[in-house]
Amino acid sequence: MPQPQLADSISNLDRTPVLEARGLTRRFGGLIAVNNVSFSVNEGEIFGLIGPNGAGKTTLFNLVTGLIHPSNGQMLYQGDEISKLRPHQIAKKGIARTFQNIRLFADLSALENVMIAQHIHTKSGVFTGVLGLPPAPREEQKTRSRAFELLELVGLSDRADEKASNFPYGDQRRLEIARALALEPSVLLLDEPAAGMNPNEKQQLSDFIRQIRQQFNLTILLIEHHVPLVMGLCDRIAVLNFGQLIAIGNPADVKSDQAVIEAYLGTD
Amino acid sequence: MNDFVSTYGFLFVSMILGAMLGLSLYLPLMAGQLSLASPGFYALGGYVAAILSTKVFQVKEPFPIALLLLEMLIAGIICGLLGVIVGVPALRLRGIYLAIATIAFVEILRVLALNLDVTGGAVGIFGIPQPFQSPIEYLWIVLPLLLISMAFVYRLEKIRVGRAFIAIREDELAADSMGINPTYYKALAFTLGAILAGVVGAISAHFLNTWNARQGTFDASIIYLTFVLIGGSRTFLGPVLGGMVFTALPEILRAIADTPGLPVWLAQFLRDGRLIIFGLLIVIGTRFFPQGLVTPQLLKRRSRSQANR
Ligand SMILES: Nc1ncnc2c1ncn2[C@@H]1O[C@H](COP(=O)(O)OP(=O)(O)OP(=O)(O)O)[C@@H](O)[C@H]1O
Ligand SMILES: [Mg+2]
Repeated sequence: MPQPQLADSISNLDRTPVLEARGLTRRFGGLIAVNNVSFSVNEGEIFGLIGPNGAGKTTLFNLVTGLIHPSNGQMLYQGDEISKLRPHQIAKKGIARTFQNIRLFADLSALENVMIAQHIHTKSGVFTGVLGLPPAPREEQKTRSRAFELLELVGLSDRADEKASNFPYGDQRRLEIARALALEPSVLLLDEPAAGMNPNEKQQLSDFIRQIRQQFNLTILLIEHHVPLVMGLCDRIAVLNFGQLIAIGNPADVKSDQAVIEAYLGTD
Repeated sequence: MNDFVSTYGFLFVSMILGAMLGLSLYLPLMAGQLSLASPGFYALGGYVAAILSTKVFQVKEPFPIALLLLEMLIAGIICGLLGVIVGVPALRLRGIYLAIATIAFVEILRVLALNLDVTGGAVGIFGIPQPFQSPIEYLWIVLPLLLISMAFVYRLEKIRVGRAFIAIREDELAADSMGINPTYYKALAFTLGAILAGVVGAISAHFLNTWNARQGTFDASIIYLTFVLIGGSRTFLGPVLGGMVFTALPEILRAIADTPGLPVWLAQFLRDGRLIIFGLLIVIGTRFFPQGLVTPQLLKRRSRSQANR
């Protein structure tokens, strides 16, 4: 399989990473959920983030997307600091995410969920919208058909008008991905997208993640507990334990790392 | 017929004004914000019209409709500006804290109105000129305005801005993560409600002929809240119907109280216990009908059963 790794490792030195964490730290009272973490993610990578429960993975995602702000350190996107921005500003820059504990707009239809996420790519205001003046009607039409395409992509277009909360768990996770893609991001953060899926679905999801990286030129950060999926899918993997980065590298190296085996993978 | 009109003309117009006040609470609620500021903006809009028509324009009756429309416009603009000024800081508060802050805002305006000269102090402003011969003729203004505001909110729910409101109501954090600026859209929803309340106030000042500090009170906050909470908070038809029904309710209770043979205490209660009854309705209603009586599901079921026929 052709991998972008080689190209990356050659040009790493002269290219700004898409994302870079510099000494990122986040405290919650006495707890240090993320402790002095530094790493960078290159363009086009599928970058895995693993670690035991409570290791700080979701907290790290929250720091990247502005849901919380770091106690110390910085987060950079394409060389610019984003640690002080608010979530919608970061979304506008091109970073989209899904949530570990699904956060769809539960009472709204699948289609509406995806339409809402095209907010930043549309601009009609109250009066043009209400009166149906240009560019509102065309924009509305485009938003709808784009939402439909994205639902098609994740295989949910036949139930576009159904309420999001009526979908089974796995479909809700797919719907969250469609919603995130509606932002047309360059970086996509997936927080345990395979949780609650059976092995077959997990394999499909893995193929799907590869497909959307290709199709939308994405850089993908992936939190996932299912080790085979992570190892098979990711170009590089970072391992967190008690908020600290204990290993980072390609899957084979991480897999054989002694600290990682002790903290997470276990000896078997 | 003339009797009917003179008895109920006043009530009909009041009901429509009530429906619009319900909508003015519904607008911020679309973005998930429970604001009780409407009576404050209503009072302010009324003072704008009362002051302009008695102190600035000074024309002979009948008061020109064009000037009434101009007053509505000015009241809307002033309330809109104040809505932005008050809304941006107040909307940092959430849920019940926002509700309390907006009640405080209404109180501040009331105390100001009581103590300023321009508002006529405790006495208020009298003899606000009439554009019409009889109350029922106000329908010429309020009915189109109600239809316009209903059409506005109906459309709003289907466009980009309304979707942003609803996304914030559903999950503010998720909406934020999807690129929607919650501060901006909450302030916008709040301001639209403020504008509508102000415009309604401007008409009401003429309609009621006098305007004073009793117009925007805590009582009114509770009553408007009933419009929305019992009428329905998930579709604009809820507050419209709620506003009409609950504006008429005190009149109905008064009519019942007048039936002969009723014990004196009960008749008294029906006449004066308005707020107690509204309070009870809120408690009971929100317990058993958390989304109010008119819900989107109810409307969907109706339209579906009609389609099936
Ligand atoms: N908002 C918060 N307030 C207080 N503590 C928090 C908060 N968010 C996370 N924590 C704590 O920070 C630590 C890291 O949590 P986090 O959710 O990042 O772990 P995780 O690696 O995603 O775990 P899991 O695999 O279970 O999802 C945990 O101890 C958690 O309890
Ligand atoms: Mg997590």
